Amino acid sequence: MMYNKDTSMIDRIISMFQTVSDEKHGSVILVFVIGILFGLIIQYTKVHKFEKIAGFSMLKDTVVPKMLFLAIGLASIGLFFMIQLGWASYHIKPITLGGLIIGGTLFGISMAIFGKCPGTGPVSVAEGRIDVMVGAVGGIVGGLVFTLFYDKLKIIMGSNLGKLSLTEYFESHQGLSVLIFGLLLVAISIAIPLVEIIDEDDPNNQL
Amino acid sequence: MIKKIPWWLGGILMALLLLFTFSVIGANRPIGASTYVPYFAGILFDLDPDKYTYLKEIHNPASWEGVMLLGVLFGSFLNALFITKTFRFVIVPYAWKKYKNNSAKSRLFWSFVSGFFLVIGARLAGGCTSGHFLSGMTQTAFSSMIFGAVVMISLIVTGKLFYKENTNDVQ
Repeated sequence: MMYNKDTSMIDRIISMFQTVSDEKHGSVILVFVIGILFGLIIQYTKVHKFEKIAGFSMLKDTVVPKMLFLAIGLASIGLFFMIQLGWASYHIKPITLGGLIIGGTLFGISMAIFGKCPGTGPVSVAEGRIDVMVGAVGGIVGGLVFTLFYDKLKIIMGSNLGKLSLTEYFESHQGLSVLIFGLLLVAISIAIPLVEIIDEDDPNNQL
Repeated sequence: MIKKIPWWLGGILMALLLLFTFSVIGANRPIGASTYVPYFAGILFDLDPDKYTYLKEIHNPASWEGVMLLGVLFGSFLNALFITKTFRFVIVPYAWKKYKNNSAKSRLFWSFVSGFFLVIGARLAGGCTSGHFLSGMTQTAFSSMIFGAVVMISLIVTGKLFYKENTNDVQ
């Protein structure tokens, strides 16, 4: 099974960069820089910390939902205008009820226990968190199992019910519906009371 | 040197980064962070993409996310070492000790299991906190709102059941 044909690990990593370079979704450097910025925003707001994500599950830390809702609220309004101006387009994910409900339930349980998600985990790995490295190994095994059993898992994901969104649903009031949606999320983000669990083991948190 | 920014500044910066990534001068696509995991698993375990349909389906988005992830690791690592000085080898997080237990074995076991199901869950749903929550709800997608609602409920129910409320029995 190992190193057959011409698909060695190195060839496949080169192919990863080649694919990005051939696609029209930004140069390799640009995508890399987007990653750096994404990681830094997470690192400086500390939303990758176990205290923040597991703390949210216990409702003892609200930095994650406050930041998340504010970002989505602002970006949804901004994106709508950008699309009107032709500067961007929608890339909506389809509704697959089985996948969303079973997958979402598993995801929420795991996120509460792990205290990480796939975007914040790598930041903690880069900070030397050994428990998160072990979790990442678990995640890679999860990715392997999903790939191996994809054809069977597809059945529980359910049929594709289309790519519906608020702007399609309220076709004649697109701008208004996005504006209300966005402002509502901003209002929620402000209304959620700010509570935090301070990591007392972290010398940098004694600010 | 700044070591922490408030949630509202983080929210504004994240919104700007999302919009830049969506824009035609950026990447003309959403941010995502879970598709790269099965892709890397395919590389590590040397699975033939011709044999596994999933690897073929995700090749392009997973490559994009793979490069982005390398940026995340690179930037966070250097920043943690030299600027925020948050690089430390830790096995049991502070809040785990406070609200769960003091056992490294318990933390590592649950990390592995939850890491496993985190990725299975994300791939079943077709996205994670980045792809569905941040990018999907920004596009007002119904699929992402369903995902968001289900995740919020299961996250909070798990938090209530899995962790203990009072900390009297710790130390």
